[in-house]
Amino acid sequence: MKSRRTAFTIFVFLFPVFIIYTLFMIIPLIQTFVYSFTQWNGVTETTFTGISNYVKLLQDKDYWTTFMNTLKLVGLSAVIQIPVGLLVAYLLYCKVKGMKIFRTIFFLPVVIAPVAIGLMFSLFYNSEIGLFNKILAAIGLGALQNNWLSNVKTLLYAVMAPQIWQYIGLYITIFLGALQSVPEEIIEGAEIDGANKLQILHRIIIPEIRNFIVISLILSVTGSLKSFDHSWIMTKGGPGVRSAYLGVYMYKTSFVNSDFGKGSTITVTIVLLSLLFTILLNIINNKYSD
Amino acid sequence: MGKLKKTVLYDGVKYLILILGSIISLYPFIWVVISSLKNNNEIYGNPFALPQTPNWGNYVQAWKGAYVGRSFVNSILVCMTTLAILIIITAMACYILTRVYQHKILKGYFTLGIMVPIHALLIPSVLIFKFLHMQDNLLSLILIYVAQNVSFSMFILSGYMESIPKELDEAATIDGCTKVQTFFRVILPVAKPGIATVATLAFLNCWNDLLLSLVIIATPAKRTLTMAISALQGSFAANYGLLCAGFVITIIPVVIMYLLFQKQVISGMTAGAVKG
Repeated sequence: MKSRRTAFTIFVFLFPVFIIYTLFMIIPLIQTFVYSFTQWNGVTETTFTGISNYVKLLQDKDYWTTFMNTLKLVGLSAVIQIPVGLLVAYLLYCKVKGMKIFRTIFFLPVVIAPVAIGLMFSLFYNSEIGLFNKILAAIGLGALQNNWLSNVKTLLYAVMAPQIWQYIGLYITIFLGALQSVPEEIIEGAEIDGANKLQILHRIIIPEIRNFIVISLILSVTGSLKSFDHSWIMTKGGPGVRSAYLGVYMYKTSFVNSDFGKGSTITVTIVLLSLLFTILLNIINNKYSD
Repeated sequence: MGKLKKTVLYDGVKYLILILGSIISLYPFIWVVISSLKNNNEIYGNPFALPQTPNWGNYVQAWKGAYVGRSFVNSILVCMTTLAILIIITAMACYILTRVYQHKILKGYFTLGIMVPIHALLIPSVLIFKFLHMQDNLLSLILIYVAQNVSFSMFILSGYMESIPKELDEAATIDGCTKVQTFFRVILPVAKPGIATVATLAFLNCWNDLLLSLVIIATPAKRTLTMAISALQGSFAANYGLLCAGFVITIIPVVIMYLLFQKQVISGMTAGAVKG
C-alpha cells in the first residue's frame, strides 16, 4: 500500500517537468532536424527533399559570408577574452586591495541584456554624438575618426566589439575562482625557489588550471556561435549579410523570408559546429593531460 | 632597496591596469545614465559634461512611448511566473531523482538541453504554438522559457540536493512525514541557497532574452522589454536622451538584482565551468 503511494508521488512530482521539457525542448529539437530535410514555407505542404537543403547551403554565398563572420567572432573572442581574462584574474589574485569591488565592476556587463549593450554601442558609434570619435579627437587621434557602422572595413569589427567586451568579466571571474582553488603551498614553494611572477604563471598556474581554460574556451566558442542580439540591434545584420552571423542569417531566412526548411538547415549546422568545437577542445585537453 | 623599488613599480602597474579596466567596464554605463538626463542639444554640444538641469522628461516619454511601460510590466509578469513554475517543478523532480527514485537515464535526459542553443527551438516552437492556438501569447513565452531553463536548473539543484544529508529524510519519515510532506517541510527549505542560484540565473535568462520573444510575440502591447527597446531604436533613432532613458529602464532591475544577489549570480553563471 505504502509503496503504491510512493509510486504515485514519484509520478506526480516528475510529470510536470517531464511534459514541459519534452514538449517544448526535446520535440522541437527533433523537429528542427526533420525540417532541415524538407522544403517548406510554413503554409503550403511540406515536401521531403533529402539532403538538398544542405547541398544548396554549400553553394549559398550569403551562408558562407555569415559562416566566416561567425568564425571570425569565434576566433577573436577566444584570442581576446581568454588571455585578458586570465591576466586580470591573476592581477586580482595577487592580494589586491578592493578585490571584490573590482570583481563586481568587471562582472557587471555580463548580466546586462545583450540588446541593451548593442543599443549602447550603437550610440557610441554614432557619427554625430558618438563617444569613440569624440575620445579619438580629444586624445589627438582625430584622423582615426570613422563612421564605424557604415564603413565596410570597420563594420564587422564594430559589431563584434561590444560582444567581446561584454563577456570578458565572465572569464575573469571563472579564472579568479580557479586560481583561488590552487593550493597556496605550491606557489609559495616556487617563490622560495626564486621563480618570478611570470614564471609562476606560465609554469605552475596555467598547467594547474588547464581544465578551467578549456571550459572557458568552450563557453566562449559556443557563446559566439549562438550570437544574434548584438548584430540584430546594431545593423540587422546588414547591409545584406555583411555584419550577420549564422544566428542572424537563420532568423532572416526563417522569419523574414519564411523559408523554414533552409532556416532549420542553418540551425542544424550551428548545433553541429558547437558539438564539433566542444569535442575537439576536449580531445586536445585530454591529450595534454597524459 | 632595488627589490623594494621593483615591488612598488609592479604594484603601481597592477593597480593602473585594474583601474583602467574598471573604467572601461563601468564608464559606458555611467555615460548612458548621465545622457539619459540631457536633451539632444546638450548631448551634441558637450557629451562628457553633466546635465545643466536633470531632464526627467526623457524617462516619462520613454515610459509612455513605444510601449516601454507596458513592456516592463509584461517582462516582470513573464519572468516571475516563469521562475515560480520552473522552481517548483524542477525542485520536485530533483527531490525524486536525488533521494527517492534515482534514475540515471531520466537524469541524463533532463540535462541533455544544456548544450542546445535557443535557435534550435525557434521554428518548431512557433509551429507548436500555432497548432495549440497559442501564438502571440505571453503564456507560450512562459512555457518555452521554463522548458529552456529546465536543464541547467536540474543540474544545479540536483547537485545541491545531493549535498543535503539523507538523515534528514530518515528523521522526517520516523516523525511520520509522507514523501510529499518531507519535500515541502524539510527539503525545500533546506535547499533555499540552491534555489536562489537557480532563480537569479533563470531571471537573467528570461529578462535578457530577445530571440524567443521576437518570434512568439507580435502585438506591440504584449512586447517584452527587450523587444520594446529594440523598437525604441527604430522609432526614436535620433532622440538620444530618450534612447538612453529606455536603456536605463531596461537594465535597472538586473543591476539591482545583481548588486543584491551577487554571490548567487556569480555562482550560477560560473556553475557550468566549475562543475563541468
